[in-house]
Amino acid sequence: MKTINYVLSGLGGQGILFMTKVFATTALNKGFNILGAETHGMAQRGGSVVSHLRIGDARSSLVRAGAADYLISMDESEAYRYLPYLKKGGKLFANAGSKSFPDERVTDYLKQNKIESFAMEASKKAMDLGSPKSTNLAMVAFYAAFGVGPLTADDLRSTVDAMSPAKVKGINLKIFDACYEVGKKISSAN
Amino acid sequence: MKEEFLLGNGAMAIGLLEAGCQIMTSYPGTPSSEILPEVVRFSKANKLNTSIEWSINEKVAFDNAFAGAISGKRAACCMKMVGLNVAADSFMSAAYIGNIGGLVIISCDDPGPHSSQTEQDSRLMARLAKVPVLDPSSPEEAREMIKFAFELSEEYQVPVLVRPAIRVCHARQNIRYGALESNMTKADFKKEPTRWASTPKFRFVQHKALNEKHVKISEKFNTLSPFNVHTLGKKKSHAFGVITGGVPSSVVKDLLEEYDRKDIPVLKLGAPYPFPEKLADEFMAACDKVLVIEETDTVIEYMLRDKVKTLGRFSGHVPMEGELVPEKIEVILNKALADCKQNPLSDFDGGKEAFALVGELGLPLRKPTLCPGCPHRASFYSIRKAMPKAIFPSDIGCYTLGSNLGVVDTVLDMGAGITMASGFWNAYIQDGVKKPIIATLGDSTFFHSGTTALINAVYNDSRFILVILDNGITAMTGMQPAITQGLRVDGRKGNPVSLEGVVEGCGVKYLKVVDPFDTKNMIKVIKKAAEYVNDPEGGIAVIISRHPCVIGFKDAAIPEKMTVTVSDECTDCGFCRDRFECPALFRNPETEKTEINTVLCAECGVCIQVCPQKAIEKV
Repeated sequence: MKTINYVLSGLGGQGILFMTKVFATTALNKGFNILGAETHGMAQRGGSVVSHLRIGDARSSLVRAGAADYLISMDESEAYRYLPYLKKGGKLFANAGSKSFPDERVTDYLKQNKIESFAMEASKKAMDLGSPKSTNLAMVAFYAAFGVGPLTADDLRSTVDAMSPAKVKGINLKIFDACYEVGKKISSAN
Repeated sequence: MKEEFLLGNGAMAIGLLEAGCQIMTSYPGTPSSEILPEVVRFSKANKLNTSIEWSINEKVAFDNAFAGAISGKRAACCMKMVGLNVAADSFMSAAYIGNIGGLVIISCDDPGPHSSQTEQDSRLMARLAKVPVLDPSSPEEAREMIKFAFELSEEYQVPVLVRPAIRVCHARQNIRYGALESNMTKADFKKEPTRWASTPKFRFVQHKALNEKHVKISEKFNTLSPFNVHTLGKKKSHAFGVITGGVPSSVVKDLLEEYDRKDIPVLKLGAPYPFPEKLADEFMAACDKVLVIEETDTVIEYMLRDKVKTLGRFSGHVPMEGELVPEKIEVILNKALADCKQNPLSDFDGGKEAFALVGELGLPLRKPTLCPGCPHRASFYSIRKAMPKAIFPSDIGCYTLGSNLGVVDTVLDMGAGITMASGFWNAYIQDGVKKPIIATLGDSTFFHSGTTALINAVYNDSRFILVILDNGITAMTGMQPAITQGLRVDGRKGNPVSLEGVVEGCGVKYLKVVDPFDTKNMIKVIKKAAEYVNDPEGGIAVIISRHPCVIGFKDAAIPEKMTVTVSDECTDCGFCRDRFECPALFRNPETEKTEINTVLCAECGVCIQVCPQKAIEKV
């Protein structure tokens, strides 16, 4: 199969490794080959963090600039920072206020490169649902609602179900379902 | 069979155990740190009898593994590439002496650099030591290479270096593996003083033998498929070819496949030293021009005899520094192809327009910072408050980030916090100036390389304050247990070593222990220590600033949580954000006051002591 490239970005402490694990485990369960590249060590302390994920038969773990199919970001600034990784026709999903997003300084670039962008206030949503540290999960669910890429929303939801410890399973699935609905509304309006 | 989405470091752990590695030693360092814990995990899951230890430093790790190997067992040690500098003395010597059981050294490189002082290329260390080196391109290949490394090491009785770069160590890949079994080979050290304790006369003989081994290994590497292999095919002549190895070889293959460029032959050298001369000559002969893409130095490029045909770093086609990320490699290939009058892969320029656009957005600079609640932050605050004019030599660890707080003036290498302090003292006292100096380093770094430095400073009557930041753990590299805690890597009990006892054993006569969360007391203790340092009858003063790491020990690090808030008294002076630099403190531009990010706040309450206006309060 053709390799599908994901770039996930955010801030140190937002749980990007868990987010990567949700995608990777789902891909693994579907029998795909996967490669990823992560940030560890000094680079991880509070800075900008990025995780690359390639589903398919690629050899190199890094996604090339201009080659990502999807950029999913847990922070608006970190979404713009990794914008050059998106390919022409790629899709951007960001944790941002939908009214002010995207920044007017990037709209021309997005248009020229046929990049569609979608936003949800994931941190706020997670906070409202009682789990302020679940921005990562909220973004997975938001992305899942658009039905793009080789992993379906059902696949991703079952992974979250299986990976969540009993104590937080209920709240995790509640966040997933609520954020999926937010995404669903936007994707069906498009 | 199991399948897991493993880190490259996990895939290497599988390779080590599949090879029957019996002795495994390491000192943590990014990007190598997860190898040993993964060996522990797989050993436990398969009930293996592997002997596994976190050693005090890389040299000690190497020597322990070497002793195992000359007792006939398969042994390995792993470290980051600057760790191999620490072990270099042993490494060079061991190459001459050789081994019985396989001895594999894994030295993890950090092109970038992402988490290191240098971008040094461990393949050059292998060249210097005259040790064969393998350069994996993926987690799966790293696993296979480690198994081969043991066989090679035993066949030729020579240590073998495996050098995975960060994109192997911290890549993840789905890896399938089966059950693992213990290697039951028994230790059987056969005395042979002319070999194991050889004098210079015998060293000459050993050197000659090593050189002879090299010729044979180079011969073997000529046909070492799939690690060393080319795609020349039947065609005798090509206008342009690529020689590559390690991580860049994966990128090159991906690119040529994506752009369907079967016309460009590739020679991959996963085993570049001893250099496979014949294989390289054959490839060079079939190509008019050859581009060398390797990380991070010029090992292959240097070994190629025909420099006229060769493009690479020396011709200016490949940058001399920095990681060769995929977009960079695409641009390099496009330029080299165009220069050789060949069709480029694409008109891709590396995404210049997009990166320029991002540059113009003025996105927040996100430099790494100490965690909220980190005891080092409190220590640094007090140190600067007590002696603002001092020189602050520091060291390698989380606390290197004290540079954000203006309390880290130098970072050289492990242990240099202390050696640089004595060096600064000597440089100033020569001019008759008693320069105030406060050195900082962590507990793990102190044990790694600090003791010899401290003994030397005491003996030579240097004068400074040394603050040992004792958080009870090796935090930066991923929470490895500290020597003072008495817990070993596999969870067994060790014998804890007293930090106070070692400091006093180094000859230090002035030692105080403080909790940095009480900044008022720490400031007082530092000022008092300065008096001792300045007293003609005084000496070096050591302060152990002891408080558990907030990540490693979680709730135990902050037993009494203190929810804080900022009152209207805040004058927006910015002192707290500047001098305490906690990620949980931020300025609200609307209210023009400092506020607390309650998601990030660790509720340590130390900032209450910091605010000059007393505007930060307990809720």
